[in-house]
Amino acid sequence: MATPALAREQLFALRETIARIENADGPGLVPRKQRWQWDAPQSQPQSPSPSQPPGDDPSAHRAGETDGLDTVFEGGLPDRGLVEIRNPQTRDMGAASGFSLALAAMRQEQEGTGATLWIGQALALSEAGTPYAPGLRKHGLDPARFLLARPRTVQDALWIAETALGVSAFSAVILEIRGNPDCFGLTESRRLQLRARANGTLLLLLRQAGVEEASSALSRLRVDPAPAGERPLPDGSMLPDSLGNPAFLVTPEKSKIADPLGILLEWNPDDRRFRRLEPRLESHPVAPRPEQRTQEPLPLVSLSSHRPGGASALGAVVAFEGTP
Amino acid sequence: MAFAGRSGTAVQIAFLDREAERIGLRKGQGVAEARAICPSLDVLPADPAADRALLEALADWCDRYTPLVALDGDDGLHLDITGCTHLHGGERALLDGVLSSLFTLGIEARGAISSSVGLSWATAHFGDGGVIDPDAALETLAPLPVAALRLPEDVVGPLGRVGLKTVGDLFPLPRAPLARRFGPLPLLRLDQALGLEDEPVSPRLPVPMLSAERRLFDTIHSEDDILALTAHLAGTLKEGLERRGEGGRLFALLLFRVDGRVFRIHAATSTPLRDPHRIALVFRERLAAVHDDLDAGYGFEIVRLCVLRSEVFETVQEGFSAGADGNRSLSAFAERVVARFGPESLLAVTLPESHVPERAAHLVSVLDLWEGERDAATERRAASTPPGDRHPGDRPLRLFAPPEPVETVAGVPEDAPKTFRWRRSFHRITRTEGPERIAAEWWIDGEDHPSRDYFRVEDDAGRRYWLFREGIYADDAALPRWFIHGVFA
Repeated sequence: MATPALAREQLFALRETIARIENADGPGLVPRKQRWQWDAPQSQPQSPSPSQPPGDDPSAHRAGETDGLDTVFEGGLPDRGLVEIRNPQTRDMGAASGFSLALAAMRQEQEGTGATLWIGQALALSEAGTPYAPGLRKHGLDPARFLLARPRTVQDALWIAETALGVSAFSAVILEIRGNPDCFGLTESRRLQLRARANGTLLLLLRQAGVEEASSALSRLRVDPAPAGERPLPDGSMLPDSLGNPAFLVTPEKSKIADPLGILLEWNPDDRRFRRLEPRLESHPVAPRPEQRTQEPLPLVSLSSHRPGGASALGAVVAFEGTP
Repeated sequence: MAFAGRSGTAVQIAFLDREAERIGLRKGQGVAEARAICPSLDVLPADPAADRALLEALADWCDRYTPLVALDGDDGLHLDITGCTHLHGGERALLDGVLSSLFTLGIEARGAISSSVGLSWATAHFGDGGVIDPDAALETLAPLPVAALRLPEDVVGPLGRVGLKTVGDLFPLPRAPLARRFGPLPLLRLDQALGLEDEPVSPRLPVPMLSAERRLFDTIHSEDDILALTAHLAGTLKEGLERRGEGGRLFALLLFRVDGRVFRIHAATSTPLRDPHRIALVFRERLAAVHDDLDAGYGFEIVRLCVLRSEVFETVQEGFSAGADGNRSLSAFAERVVARFGPESLLAVTLPESHVPERAAHLVSVLDLWEGERDAATERRAASTPPGDRHPGDRPLRLFAPPEPVETVAGVPEDAPKTFRWRRSFHRITRTEGPERIAAEWWIDGEDHPSRDYFRVEDDAGRRYWLFREGIYADDAALPRWFIHGVFA
């Protein structure tokens, strides 16, 4: 089974080349200068030129407010190109859409001008809800600069996305796809990725109820809901049992840095920035919960009722005599 | 051959061909009687809708001669050729051209050109047709029967009974007694035929403000050729638009197929447009959208581009930097999407004043919104972005329309639920905020519409939902129902 050494060397060289090609714009390899700084939007006026983000200045980082994304992606997510955000369940789409819209809001604030385009198939919009303008405003996005495209088929959605990536008017484009359709594969995502990078637009692929799939996205994040923080009171304490800023559990699935546990991020719509939360073990969604073990385990989906029962197991259970 | 139509309870011959006429059949005869006269008569049911469609198609076809084409009853067309004749080699040549082209299409037609609608109608229906000199109106009209004045049957009958058979009989009569006895119609029609009374032709389609066309010696088939020609025609139109200081908002591309079919493709734009390339770009999407319906057949012989609606064009100084064209590229993008998928495919948000959540945001087509904004730029802008927040409570990121029913379990009836079941999956609620009571808008919903109590809930996995209870628990009322209205981030 041993491979000849020469062939193995060639294979390694090829692998390295492929890795270099694929990761030429991947997270972690591009110098920090060319990346979009996620954690310093408030120091934007000091540096009007987007080619010189304020993150270069170490003093712009404020201690204690280190951005979660920054550490995961070694300098923030790229500000252009295709980023996939997915969630396997439709009922969790609130978190995934909230995270995508938060990215779009940050991008919009950074650009100053530019609209956000949401491309959603009619089916996806009816399954997970239509974007709601007052809620968008609460989330930090300007509804006056929000456009919603409602194509019928995936092909139409891809066409609109590609057209939108050809104009400079959009700071972020969100393409919502339900499931893993056949007509949106590696070729199509590669095409979109190249277009987005050439045009300097952030394209967020929001995959609704989809599984992991090979794509040309720069990175793929799985976004799960996480318990929100509490509302702060004027005296600095927290109002107990209140629902404050939304929080997300972001698990990088395709990234330079693997973090299987994910990081907890809290989105502050007023400042339009993320804050990393310390994962509380008892409230971590992935962590096992001791108190729930004792309760009766509940199925994700309730069992069907008023229907014929399932087929019974074949054969019969026979009590054998125990051998001594 | 004859076509039978139903008039009242009787089945009568509505139309008949020349052969049937020769046998001695006539219009209005009963079908049974006609069959008795000629047992081999081929009777088909008349189809007025198809006749109408054919006439409409012919009217489209006649667009090549003049934009002012009007339908006349069920079997005629009026063409206002004022100022168009020299393009077709004079009146006589125009008439001959129309009739011979119609003949090659398999349609037998009679036509006349004169200075008034009435005279043309009379000579085409009852006379020899042809071009009538304005000075010869009287002597042309005189020998024709009175019915040639487009008079209804109940006026022609009494006129005939008193011996007024031809139009010429009416000329010497005093007008006042004639009007007293037969009503104003005969005199009106007579004056109209003689050109003393004006009679406008109301065209069946809006007359374009500008149009440019190209007649082709050799027909074209491919979309690329059509688009190239469209861009060329748009370049011709540009001058006219510039002279007016306007840009087109609604364009129509007319494609005349060799066999007489006419395709009419409309394209709306989001901003007044002059640039030929952008106009061609919009039509590229339109052609892609109507691709299957556009059957080139043996090719198109005439291509015409019209401006149907235009608006003042604000001339923009081209900047040196490339970044300033955000709005323009946005409108170009909107045009392409709308041209391809229709106006409902790209939506923008307006925020009407309303407490009811589903009425507080409204999705409208982008083109409509931008048009409205241009009309009332300042106040609309101010209204759509109020300075503060209108809603004190949090609003969800995504809204379900309509709200989806959920089954809930609560500790106390009036309280927030402890668990709920939505889409057959079970959620245990850990934290709740609320209620926020939103009353129905009595001026829309009526006074007895139940109010809603909204709760913001978070389940044990951290999902945040917006639930509401419609109605309140009361002794006499039905049990209130619970709904999920949206999801939070």
